[in-house]
Amino acid sequence: MAGSALRRLMAEYKQLTLNPPEGIIAGPINEENFFEWEALITGPEGTCFEGGVFPAKLVFPPDYPLSPPKMQFTCEMFHPNIYSDGRVCISILHAPGDDPMGYESSAERWSPVQSVEKILLSVISMLAEPNDESGANVDAAKMWRENREEFDRIAEKIVRRTLGIPT
Amino acid sequence: MGDEAQTTSTTVSKEITSQPNQDELILAQQRQIEKEISDSTTLVGELEPISSLNNEYSSDEVYLDKVKDLGEKYKFIRRTRPDGNCFFRAFSYANIERLLSKKEDYNEFYRISEESKDVLVSLGFQQFTVEDFYDTYMEVLKKLKNIENLDEAHKELHTTFNEQGFSDYMVVYLRLLTSGQLQKDQDFYSCFIEGDRTVTDFCHQEVEPMYKESDHIHIIAACAALNTGVRVIYMDRGTEKSCTAHDLPEGCSPTVHLLYRPGHYDILYL
Repeated sequence: MAGSALRRLMAEYKQLTLNPPEGIIAGPINEENFFEWEALITGPEGTCFEGGVFPAKLVFPPDYPLSPPKMQFTCEMFHPNIYSDGRVCISILHAPGDDPMGYESSAERWSPVQSVEKILLSVISMLAEPNDESGANVDAAKMWRENREEFDRIAEKIVRRTLGIPT
Repeated sequence: MGDEAQTTSTTVSKEITSQPNQDELILAQQRQIEKEISDSTTLVGELEPISSLNNEYSSDEVYLDKVKDLGEKYKFIRRTRPDGNCFFRAFSYANIERLLSKKEDYNEFYRISEESKDVLVSLGFQQFTVEDFYDTYMEVLKKLKNIENLDEAHKELHTTFNEQGFSDYMVVYLRLLTSGQLQKDQDFYSCFIEGDRTVTDFCHQEVEPMYKESDHIHIIAACAALNTGVRVIYMDRGTEKSCTAHDLPEGCSPTVHLLYRPGHYDILYL
């Protein structure tokens, strides 16, 4: 089983290297182990995360792509759909039925024809448009709803930190 | 001001560590149950006499009558693992199995299968993800095609469908073919989908993901995709003494026979 997962991950890596989507770099941390990847995601333009470069880790299960990977930001993040420990909580990372956040039924779900690229693109849209209904970080969700100015200030600080600029 | 983000996230992380997410605990328990099922049932079992069903219902009159009725129509049952993929696994296995003894039909099936990837890609599936499953699917069909001896071919089919890697890839590809069929004929299928979901949404949520159970609509579309018909024998707690048969699509001459007990499909043999 791990054989087909490896083959698939190698194909995805190749695909992402040949046709990298805008604002995304991703690949195995170490070519000896294709089941752990690092990704760098650029904050989408025109949002409070613009300009930031956010590192994240993706861990793939042995039965990938039947089951989805897990994703966790390794930098500080403050966002309604990211747990305070960096774990990303969006519908595409869950198969239907696996429903820790009770996503709406129309939300995009994991299936074997999704891909790392699709996940990372969903994460970029998540950064641009948080879903404050699914509160992985309740404080962030509340602030996003009620005090956008303050939210933007915190986001800006996080952006500066990812770039190593003093806040 | 500089430390606000930091402070907020520390407080939240404390809450999370002290109160594990209930839903995640439920998921972990679900995984455990699934593991117990997979440890105790093979993906596709050996042929067993229909009377073997009696053991499951030793003191249940309603079911015992129905097993007796079933035994008058069918000789054998082949059990599949109840993991939500049972319809697709049973259907794929039984369909290939019957084709093995009909060389010409098998070759025709092989030819249609070969063309199927392009059809899926033209429907908007991403080429390289479809290819992954298509390549394995064709590899299996090709290997079986080249085995002259029928017994050997049956044995190979059985072995392949019990190797998780191959077996699950066969399931995924039939799910994709089924999804393709639904999307190709969405005008027809949209009437059978409840709620305000589109056919494409339905496919993304109920057909393409592994472990999602199958309903009538999956079966009808899978039959259309493989150009064949299925007879489903329903065995449930209804009080009539015999099982009910449904041919899908209606009026077809079924080539594959399946036993349906609420939530699960097994293969039947005449």
